[in-house]
Amino acid sequence: MSDELDMRDKAAWDAAEKVADYEHGWSSDIETDFAPKGLTEDTVRFISAKKNEPEWMLEWRLKAFALWKTMTPPDWAKLNVPPIDYQDAYYYAEPKAKPKLGSLDEVDPEILRIYEKLGIPIAEQEVLAGVEGARRVAVDAVFDSVSVATTFRAELERAGVIFRSISEAIKEYPELVKKWLGKIVPMHDNYFATLNCAVFSDGTFVYIPEGVRCPMELSTYFRINAENTGQFERTLIIADKGSYVSYLEGCTAPMRDENQLHAAVVELVALDDAEIKYSTVQNWYPGDAEGKGGIYNFVTKRALCQGRNSKVSWTQVETGSAVTWKYPSCVLNGENSVGEFYSVAVTNNYQQADTGTKMIHNGKGSRSTIVSKGISAGHSNNTYRGLVRVAPNAEGVRNFTQCDSLLLGSLSGAHTVPYIEVRNPSAQIEHEATTSKISDDQMFYAMARGLNAEEAVALIVNGFAKEVLQQLPMEFAVEAQKLLGISLEGSVG
Amino acid sequence: MLQITNLHANVGDKPILKGLTLSLKAGEIHAIMGPNGAGKSTLGYVLSGRPGYEVTEGSVTFNGNDLLDLEPHERAAAGLFLGFQYPVEIPGVSNVQFLREALNAQRKNRGEAPLSGAEFLKVAREQAGALGMDMDMLKRPVNVGFSGGEKKRNEMVQMGIINPALAILDETDSGLDIDALRTVGDGINRIMRKPGKAVLLITHYQRLLDYVKPDFVHVLADGRITRTGGAELALELERDGYKELAA
Amino acid sequence: MNRSAPTRHDEAWRYSDISAVEAAWPLAAPESIIVPAGGNFARTILQDTGSIHQLDIAIGKGATTAIHVLNIGGDYGRVELNVTLHEGADFKLGAVQIGGSTQNLEIITTVTHAEPKATSSQIVRSVLAGTATGTYLGKVAVARDAQLTDSVQSVKAMLLDRSATANAKPELEIYADDVKCAHGCAIGELDAMGLFYLQARGIAPADAKKLMLQAFVAGVFEGAADEEMLTDAALKKLGELV
Repeated sequence: MSDELDMRDKAAWDAAEKVADYEHGWSSDIETDFAPKGLTEDTVRFISAKKNEPEWMLEWRLKAFALWKTMTPPDWAKLNVPPIDYQDAYYYAEPKAKPKLGSLDEVDPEILRIYEKLGIPIAEQEVLAGVEGARRVAVDAVFDSVSVATTFRAELERAGVIFRSISEAIKEYPELVKKWLGKIVPMHDNYFATLNCAVFSDGTFVYIPEGVRCPMELSTYFRINAENTGQFERTLIIADKGSYVSYLEGCTAPMRDENQLHAAVVELVALDDAEIKYSTVQNWYPGDAEGKGGIYNFVTKRALCQGRNSKVSWTQVETGSAVTWKYPSCVLNGENSVGEFYSVAVTNNYQQADTGTKMIHNGKGSRSTIVSKGISAGHSNNTYRGLVRVAPNAEGVRNFTQCDSLLLGSLSGAHTVPYIEVRNPSAQIEHEATTSKISDDQMFYAMARGLNAEEAVALIVNGFAKEVLQQLPMEFAVEAQKLLGISLEGSVG
Repeated sequence: MLQITNLHANVGDKPILKGLTLSLKAGEIHAIMGPNGAGKSTLGYVLSGRPGYEVTEGSVTFNGNDLLDLEPHERAAAGLFLGFQYPVEIPGVSNVQFLREALNAQRKNRGEAPLSGAEFLKVAREQAGALGMDMDMLKRPVNVGFSGGEKKRNEMVQMGIINPALAILDETDSGLDIDALRTVGDGINRIMRKPGKAVLLITHYQRLLDYVKPDFVHVLADGRITRTGGAELALELERDGYKELAA
Repeated sequence: MNRSAPTRHDEAWRYSDISAVEAAWPLAAPESIIVPAGGNFARTILQDTGSIHQLDIAIGKGATTAIHVLNIGGDYGRVELNVTLHEGADFKLGAVQIGGSTQNLEIITTVTHAEPKATSSQIVRSVLAGTATGTYLGKVAVARDAQLTDSVQSVKAMLLDRSATANAKPELEIYADDVKCAHGCAIGELDAMGLFYLQARGIAPADAKKLMLQAFVAGVFEGAADEEMLTDAALKKLGELV
């Protein structure tokens, strides 16, 4: 324990040493006030200094922190979250490294079993599990992942795509970052977003220049560089006029992380005729079958469809986390802009998910589609919460929402909370919701054809979620299908 | 009766009619035939004043008056009837209520006294009977739950009740089996083949013309009348197709 | 207890005319209606003065209740129903609200299926003109073990003017798996093709609009003891708006 504290102190010292200018007297404070745990203004200064951030960034963080202290966590979601002690968490440490393992033999057999079910190649399994020297193994055994990644990077740069960590971008492209950071999700947006503004660890920055079609699915890149993501991720993607990018975050492989609280912010901007496709597979540790442990995932994702004919499409497959609080949204300002939200959320055991979207129609002729498929099993609760709003001047708006719930077993809950607010007579808004269970007939039919109960459930659930799954980039769609089945293991007797 | 001169019309930004000229006299039945997309339905909609169908050039007079100046309901009151290719379903409004209101609105517009409920029902029963339509169907909401053939038959019942001077019948034959086709054809002859009345039949096939013999047949291609002839032209079209003739 | 007036943060009052609510505060206790097992109950609520109606209705085993609402009068009119269904009970709501100028009209329902085999059906139609606001907040809650629940919500709103507002929240809270719960919600304007069809048959635009609106609310009052009175009052109000 004390060793760990020492390590943290040392990390703090090292970072502080790197900062040349101590204009704010921070250096004098560090010796006396530095605390390894907890959240104070000094924590925020420390993070900023450690990242060698420019002054404006530090000020922005401090402003957010001051604001956050005046705020209270939202209580409207259908979630039962025990009070979180924000002083009992680490904010400044490097993202915790996974323990280095000698070989796959040391990996939790439960995880290995799931890797296998997902059909992940051995070499990739080693990377994901954090086996020492895995990359070298990968080079030898399957492919040269490092050089592949480098090739990708060169290819992106040739196309003019800026693809950096957000920390790098703050230093290298301060004007671009300043222009959009906090403009889509304002600093004061909500408790968790404000917290993220103050303490975000790192994240991704993408800029696609005018007229450029990103030469690869950025998912491919992450697939190979599956790295430990931070606790407070910050993502900013800017698609300039006429550009296109497809981005995939997350991983079908189960992700274990000791940080219980995750509060990411994702901001997307699409200018005239630009399109962003953002796909998420979220499979953080959901806690055990008794509901112990698991990640609290409080995410704010929003897209600004600012330009004419701009389009943002969110696709999410949410199977993990003990608590999910997440509403990827589109602010449709551009004329004829398009927003889409395709979601599959699976909850099992004692998981709780409150997820959905907001489609804010300000632009004339803007259109949106919402397809939400919620699957509840065990003792879990699964809520769709959505908002469709049409401004008085937005002529000719269209929205279609389809919201289906599937209940497995009689102990879970499935909830639908759609808000519809329309102020223009030319809008056409349609919302449909259904609730169903897997019928005994369906089960019997599938089993009479030779499937066992779990396989039958997986088959039927995949059919139920098909509309959403087919929105995923191809290489993930197959794994996501398997993932749904795995997530529901033990839900049928 | 109807004089169309150099008519140009757009749907949205797209020009569909490009200088169409056509003249109908009282007592005549004209058929307009042509390939899909030639502008046949557009002509019907433009003549009856559907919003979104914009006349950019040319003129249309109906009994000497400027037709294009009138609202759709004023055109109806003036004696123009459009038989819809796809009759619209209106849940919650019964056929009887709809037709009585429509007929009396037209009468009022012409300065005639409204029909009483009993008088109206008498007319309605006659017309429905002549077209083999059940009175129960007349009591049902407008076109709701009607088959394609029933909808077309219902259009004819409406035409009989309203008794217009000029009927523009848009693909009235589509979706009809052979018996229904005969019934509808007989209906058109009975209601419209009278001095002082005229019919513009818009159709893709000539089979309806076996029952309703046209005085003139016109070929509409690419927004213009490209050829005019007698009833024999329809047979020629049926045999040779539109491509040859339109060229 | 004399608790303070609600604010917009209170979910059930999020779209309300808060100053009107404050003026009316404190409200009388909700009217409590208990429909005994096997009984039948019906009530018509014509809200034409700008008032707040709150009803708590417990529907006993195998009993039925039909409520018809026409919400049209005053600056602020609210009809709030809190319904609990016991085994095999049936609840039907047919509601129309029609508002113009600056009216704020709302229908708030919580329908709890507390026991198995109960059925509920809610049909709500709103027509809004001027800068009026019409709101339907409807929650259907199915308790654990309330199996074989069958519940449907059909919510439609029609806006006649820009800046009229329609709000809807057809909410489901379901804790039993063998249930049929569906809701549909549509907000839009009058069907342009339908309007044209009527006009092509000679009906003037305003009358065509009225006829279409009449069709829009038609059927909601079917079976009500006061069907004719409600229909006439609804048509009269529609006539004022078109």
